[in-house]
Amino acid sequence: MTLWRLEWLRLVRTRRVIGLVGVYLFFGFLGPITARYLEQILSSFGGDLELVVPDPVPADGITQYVGNAAQIGLLVSVGIAAAALAFDAKPQMGVFLRTRVRSVRDIIVPRFVVMAVAVSCSFLLGSIAALYESVVLIGAIPIGWWLVGSLLGALYLVFAVALVAVVAARARSVMLTVVVSIGVLLAMPLIGLAPAIGEWLPSHLIGAVDGLIRDQTPGDYLRAGVVTVFLTAGGLWLAVRGAEQREL
Amino acid sequence: MITTRSLTKRYGATVALDRVDLAVTRGSVYGLVGPNGAGKTTLLGILSGLRRATDGAVEVGTTRVGVLPDTPLFDDWLTACEVVDLSLRLTTGESNPERVAAMLAETGIADAADRAVGGFSRGMLQRLGVAATLVSRPELVLLDEPCSALDPLGRREVLDLIARLRGDATVVFSSHILADVQEVCDTVGILRRGRLIFEGPLENLLVGKARPQYLVRLRPPIERVVDSLQRVAWIDEVTVVDPERIRVGAADLETLERELTPALATAGARVVSISPDAPSLEDVFLEVIR
Repeated sequence: MTLWRLEWLRLVRTRRVIGLVGVYLFFGFLGPITARYLEQILSSFGGDLELVVPDPVPADGITQYVGNAAQIGLLVSVGIAAAALAFDAKPQMGVFLRTRVRSVRDIIVPRFVVMAVAVSCSFLLGSIAALYESVVLIGAIPIGWWLVGSLLGALYLVFAVALVAVVAARARSVMLTVVVSIGVLLAMPLIGLAPAIGEWLPSHLIGAVDGLIRDQTPGDYLRAGVVTVFLTAGGLWLAVRGAEQREL
Repeated sequence: MITTRSLTKRYGATVALDRVDLAVTRGSVYGLVGPNGAGKTTLLGILSGLRRATDGAVEVGTTRVGVLPDTPLFDDWLTACEVVDLSLRLTTGESNPERVAAMLAETGIADAADRAVGGFSRGMLQRLGVAATLVSRPELVLLDEPCSALDPLGRREVLDLIARLRGDATVVFSSHILADVQEVCDTVGILRRGRLIFEGPLENLLVGKARPQYLVRLRPPIERVVDSLQRVAWIDEVTVVDPERIRVGAADLETLERELTPALATAGARVVSISPDAPSLEDVFLEVIR
């Protein structure tokens, strides 16, 4: 039993992996259906009211997916990541781990990596589902741009996990870790409403797949991508440092 | 194995440890006792590296330290076997199923080896904690109230386990159960309000406080007997313990041993039993911390 296997077992035995993959896949399949049949769905609720909805384009399915992934998917991801990264929330568990490793880094790194891989892969699976259904129901999507955009979206989620690690190293409970992390992640798009700032923020990346298959170019996400990589690395360093300074 | 000099820990204005000079010799079993809030857990936390001292110095003569908190907890979806295996792997880098199985057997939870620990009672978790702490054969074992949740059988097994460590490992354990400390420890440290008010061999503590006493059980009524014994010149003290027992003390043990029975006969006492009354650690502890 290693700390890497421990994290894998945490995902599998607690069935969190099902929740994580399930939520992204659900919205991956739901998004294109909603986009394709939006007019019919609205008509069924509209009674005699005549609704005029523009014909869907393939990117609409991805737009719907990204919208849900950025909200519900992010919330689930943060909750699951916090449950793994806030290992001092129950001090006795913290004592068990901390007194058996040379550095607290040995505890944090496997948790961060496993969670980051699980969250980003779940997002990518949902994105594949959205791509497949959009192509089938609506029309072709430029695969290359979709892939680059999806990877940038996954990078944003890796950043979100690093943020959770930073907060968990200071917060005393899983719930507080979730609340503070979500607060910071929700504040980011609000700050990003100012265009000059928005394109530098990690939150800009979550919509990259949608933007790239419409009219954006990778250059539009370059600054946010570079900032996100640095913030993620810095966040991981901060998380380790914060956990080292904590007393149990 | 452990030396602290003027070890001090403050939490804001509260002084949790006040200039503690601790000396734990290699291979000894050291009992740390004291009332709630005396600083036992803080001291163990500093020795295990989980807390930092505000002032003073700590020297621990090994990096192979096993730590058991008072209420051990583990991920409840792990099996007992996996917990002990994880502990061994993290501390030594090796996997040894035979050693894990032996440790589970030694702590009496072999039957539950493949059960998820989420269903374990507090006593079983404590046994598992002991197994996970000792599996890697640490040179220094820090145990915080290791028997607090155990039934008499479990307590007996864990105390035997600790006693067997003597010589092979150095053990420091805190306990509220002074009988446990008296049974397995060779050295005792008494903490009171963050200060180490006594440290030394258990015999020194007990002998220093010992005075010749006998506990006598009588058929009631005992008032006339007590009155008669109080008039005997060589008897220092007659204390009524309860309606059927009295404690008789004297300055000289030999006189007490020779003269007590005749004195009781003279007093017309109907004696049920009579036995020497050595002070327990609890008696001494209560006297010291007052």
